[in-house]
Amino acid sequence: MTRPVTKTLEIPVADGERNPYSLKMGPQHPATHGVLRVDLELDGETILKCTPHVGYLHRGFDKIAENRTYAQTLILTDRLDYIGAMANNVGYCVAVEQLLGFSVPERAKYIRTMVCEMSRICSHLLWLATHALDIGAMTVFLYCFREREILLDLFEELCGARLTFSYPRIGGVRQDVTRKFIDELQRVIHLFPGRIEEYETLIDTNRIWLKRTVGIGKLSGDKALALGLTGPCLRGSGVDYDIRKHRPYDAYDQMDFEVPLGSDGDIYARYRCRMEELRQSLRILQQCVDMLPPGPVLDKDAPDLVMPLHKNTKGGEADSTSYGTGIIKFMEEQGIYPAGDIYVSTEAPKGELGFYFISDGSARAYRMHIRSPSFIHISALPTIAQGELIADLIANIGSLDVVIGECDR
Amino acid sequence: MQIQYKPTRTLLQTILHVEILQGMALTLKRLFSKPITRQYPQEKPDVRLGFRGQHALVRDQASGGSKCVACMRCATVCPSRCIRIRYHEDEESGARVVDSYDIEALRCVYCGFCEEVCPVNALVMTEVFEYGAYDRQSIFFDQQRLLENWDRFTELKGGGMDNYVNPFWRPRGADEKTLTAAKRVKVPDDWTLEGQVVGKKFKTERSV
Repeated sequence: MTRPVTKTLEIPVADGERNPYSLKMGPQHPATHGVLRVDLELDGETILKCTPHVGYLHRGFDKIAENRTYAQTLILTDRLDYIGAMANNVGYCVAVEQLLGFSVPERAKYIRTMVCEMSRICSHLLWLATHALDIGAMTVFLYCFREREILLDLFEELCGARLTFSYPRIGGVRQDVTRKFIDELQRVIHLFPGRIEEYETLIDTNRIWLKRTVGIGKLSGDKALALGLTGPCLRGSGVDYDIRKHRPYDAYDQMDFEVPLGSDGDIYARYRCRMEELRQSLRILQQCVDMLPPGPVLDKDAPDLVMPLHKNTKGGEADSTSYGTGIIKFMEEQGIYPAGDIYVSTEAPKGELGFYFISDGSARAYRMHIRSPSFIHISALPTIAQGELIADLIANIGSLDVVIGECDR
Repeated sequence: MQIQYKPTRTLLQTILHVEILQGMALTLKRLFSKPITRQYPQEKPDVRLGFRGQHALVRDQASGGSKCVACMRCATVCPSRCIRIRYHEDEESGARVVDSYDIEALRCVYCGFCEEVCPVNALVMTEVFEYGAYDRQSIFFDQQRLLENWDRFTELKGGGMDNYVNPFWRPRGADEKTLTAAKRVKVPDDWTLEGQVVGKKFKTERSV
């Protein structure tokens, strides 16, 4: 049945003014890197106003963490930024260690630094792949995935998983590295510089790539700081801020590396920053492999997985209630965990990943807040995209490197 | 470190499309190299030791059943709470007898905490990763199914599972003293504290 036409379509135009129209982009748009919806107000192809809507992938991690012990919460951090999950794992463990006052053996620190940088390379490769695909360079996409596969195989050798690693533990790491792993990693370090040059041959001076990136999505350093950007997005604008350098954690204070800085703050500057970071990550990897000290990988006082701090509670009567939820009560009586709050941030591939804990002295966080870089970056999108073309919005979303899993949590 | 990133292009390069041709040459070169794509259902990927895949209960050669002693550690540590164990205590010996052992694999997050905390190496996550099904019932593993999973895994590995050690049973680099008796099994050289890999530069610097 056809609906009767009651009224012919008329576009009202005010005197001398053009009428803006609205367009909903997403949440299933392939170029929005997940379930992100952007409401656009357009004048022709120019964006007058852009409003990103988040929350389609909300899983309530902050709340779930209140019902899990610190050891169990680790698995949630895998699912924040699933592209470079190891950096989240390490960031979480560093935060909990500082909250509860655990130390980490030297060898574990080096292994963590190593896997963190591998994760950064993984993340940047996938970023380059999808960003180039958004802009229209498909070859780079295939080449990046070829290299990422090698790293994922390495992760599989190390911890038995390719994406959701759950590899570090509070007070160290779960597994030591094998000889096979180190040998393969050494091969990767030799192989990758040539591969990075391949990507640069393809797009670095390509005139289409330059047209789509140079001078687009410009942000000054002050503006980027005011918007709270971190990571390569901030460094592309020329602000020297890298937590690995300024507040070193794990073995980063032993490492010799440089922080690449751009100046223009456009998409091309951010792209160059990330490419340089790939090279710096390889440098750090080589140093980690060379300087790997011997020793245990898990601290002897590290909390047990199933009964946290069981080893430290000498003389405590572990009766039948100490299983399941009873363990929490048991430890509260002992007054083991320090109460208080702490904010610890680490440099994830996307930017500053912070964990804020309020502890009431039990084995669970009273409140856990995650400062995820993607959420902050998506809030900068209206400022960046305003006044630019709709096609550049895609390039802008790509260059901010947002992962919706981390954005919505 | 300020990065140098201003690409320059001369007029001649612009006219001749040099950078485009360079990119084309690279892709053309790949045409004559060995393909890296794996034809998946025909070619199986190479799964590494210790991959966290389908769950299984290790079949005890002596009794034919599982090794589980119903200590409940796996059910306690499970972050997604997908393990459910029922047991009763034997009236004469006081030992725990497992009545049922269920793993709801659809809820599992494959963290491997359960196999790590098991004191008797009864539980394992095998290298089997293809077990999709069209209904929920076939991915709900009870004790019988879990034991069958182990048999299937044994078949996949071609038998000889007496020497099989999962890295999560006996974590690499773990101190022997902190492990239970069942976990002190013989492992490859580089899994132990004595044989672990040390950086080359670290060795030379310490000797100087």
